Amino acid sequence: MTSSTETRAFQTARRGRAWMFGDNVPTDQIVATKVVFSPMEVVLKHVLEELKPEFPANVRPGDLIVAGVHFGQSSGRAIAPKAIQAAGVGCIVAESFARTFLRNCYEIGLPIIECPGASRLARDGDVVSVDLESGTVRNETTGQALQGNPVDPFLLRMLAAGGIIPLVRRTGSDLGATNT
Amino acid sequence: MNLIEKILAKGSGRKSVAPGDIVVAEVDCALLHDLSARSCREVFEKKVGGKIAHPERIVTVFDHQFSPPSEEKAAVLLANRRFCYEHGMPLYDCGSGNIHNVAMQNGHIKPGALVVGSDSHSPVQGVMGCFCAALGNDSYAATVMPFSKAWFRVPETIRIELTGQTMPGTTARDVALWLCAEIGEGKINYQAIKFCGEYIQSLSFWDRWLFTLMAVDVGAKAAYIEPDRTTIDFANGLGLEDYEIVTDDPGTTYAAEWRWDVGKLEPQICFPPTVGNVAPIREYAGTPVQWAELGGHGGGRLVDFEMAAQVLRQRRKNDHVNFNLVPGNRHIFREAMKSGQAALLHEQGATWFPASTGSNQAVNMGAMAEGESMISTHVRNFPGRNGSPKAQMFLASALSVAAAAAAGKIVDPREFI
Repeated sequence: MTSSTETRAFQTARRGRAWMFGDNVPTDQIVATKVVFSPMEVVLKHVLEELKPEFPANVRPGDLIVAGVHFGQSSGRAIAPKAIQAAGVGCIVAESFARTFLRNCYEIGLPIIECPGASRLARDGDVVSVDLESGTVRNETTGQALQGNPVDPFLLRMLAAGGIIPLVRRTGSDLGATNT
Repeated sequence: MNLIEKILAKGSGRKSVAPGDIVVAEVDCALLHDLSARSCREVFEKKVGGKIAHPERIVTVFDHQFSPPSEEKAAVLLANRRFCYEHGMPLYDCGSGNIHNVAMQNGHIKPGALVVGSDSHSPVQGVMGCFCAALGNDSYAATVMPFSKAWFRVPETIRIELTGQTMPGTTARDVALWLCAEIGEGKINYQAIKFCGEYIQSLSFWDRWLFTLMAVDVGAKAAYIEPDRTTIDFANGLGLEDYEIVTDDPGTTYAAEWRWDVGKLEPQICFPPTVGNVAPIREYAGTPVQWAELGGHGGGRLVDFEMAAQVLRQRRKNDHVNFNLVPGNRHIFREAMKSGQAALLHEQGATWFPASTGSNQAVNMGAMAEGESMISTHVRNFPGRNGSPKAQMFLASALSVAAAAAAGKIVDPREFI
């Protein structure tokens, strides 16, 4: 079982407009408690609004979020990455992620990549490209390139499957992890 | 191997594991609260379905709502309740207490076990000498419920040794708040922490709890304290049987080893907007507070009410502060009643709330208006988490919370002992 055959159809390259965020962004400020259990169309009107009020109205499919350290800290609410995914964000690039958030992203099939230096890579609206497999991250507007951490093959397979639930359907309860 | 590696190796049927390995391991116990039970149930019912492999291992605690405040919330609790009954999963209904406290007090957490939790502060359970990490909804629905399994990347472990003894007025909570800032928010992401040293060993079980509790705030995946006499006495006191004492192998090495001395530490306060902002509490003395609360993941312990009773023994709470008391579980409230402290705190003007997780996220209580401030034993202080984003949450020890309730403002608690 190799990652290349399973991920062949999966697009590991991502490219889009950057939305910049700072350090330690808590899930409370991605999706506030008051809308946590609202329908997704309501959640989408408020996603990340506390930090960037213009985000919900102006985010477009394929946009990227670029952030500092410990993105997605605090509550492990999966609605936070689900709302970012539903907003059409193609990938989150951050210096580091809080681990429950990181885990939730892969498990719902939302690509993310850790990249030291990401918080100084771009400004809002710059075009940023990412390759999950090689870990390269590049600001296409300025030409600056960084080396992020390539996504682990096991997690790449999870992304390629569309998340942990479809992966289990494909592999059974061992998730194909015994060979990694 | 260390304790975590041994538990993950055993759970995944391997002779050994090393940091970085991805394993799928058998789960001994899984914890959900009313909010996460809803999300996990919805994902499971919509996308997975079928039987739950080991329903007796999946423990649900309704802790954010001790009584639903609306018809919509009541309907959610009802659906969660039916889900538990239908599959035969244990349920601690409204008024039972805080998820972590209830699971521990009722014997669901055993030394040597592999535990998962939905709440982000789940690593707290490692105080028992077990492995416990937080998982999201989709892990529950995809592998925990149908197979009683979960995937893990084996973490690196950092050894943190605390030496010395604290000065009067400085409690374990002060040390834990301070240590969080010393290490830094998110600084040891994905790694695990072993807490040890003469200071940790000298603490009671429930004071040790405050250290594994804060692990997530520095980013850690899990934390543990090697089981010793204190752990075994506590486990036996709960009536636990058939548990396994797992310790680090002799000669175990760690990704890093850090040491601090706690001897000179003053009482601390954590101020908004995040948990990494900590200073000696005297620097905030005089700040008015309208709310004070003993409760949440970090509070509502019996020892918290004992400290409050010390402060309020001779004086009433200040008229301009609402002082709310939220037991972490029903056992704690019973003990506070038996000792007379429940009555004493009531007579001095404090208000008892049902055992629950209190004002955490202001689901059932604890919303503040713009400009208001609370001092509490809670674990988080992000703006907007308790009502207005322009309200302030200060985190401190039970002693400092009670002292502020007595004074009507933040004070150095050493004035009250």
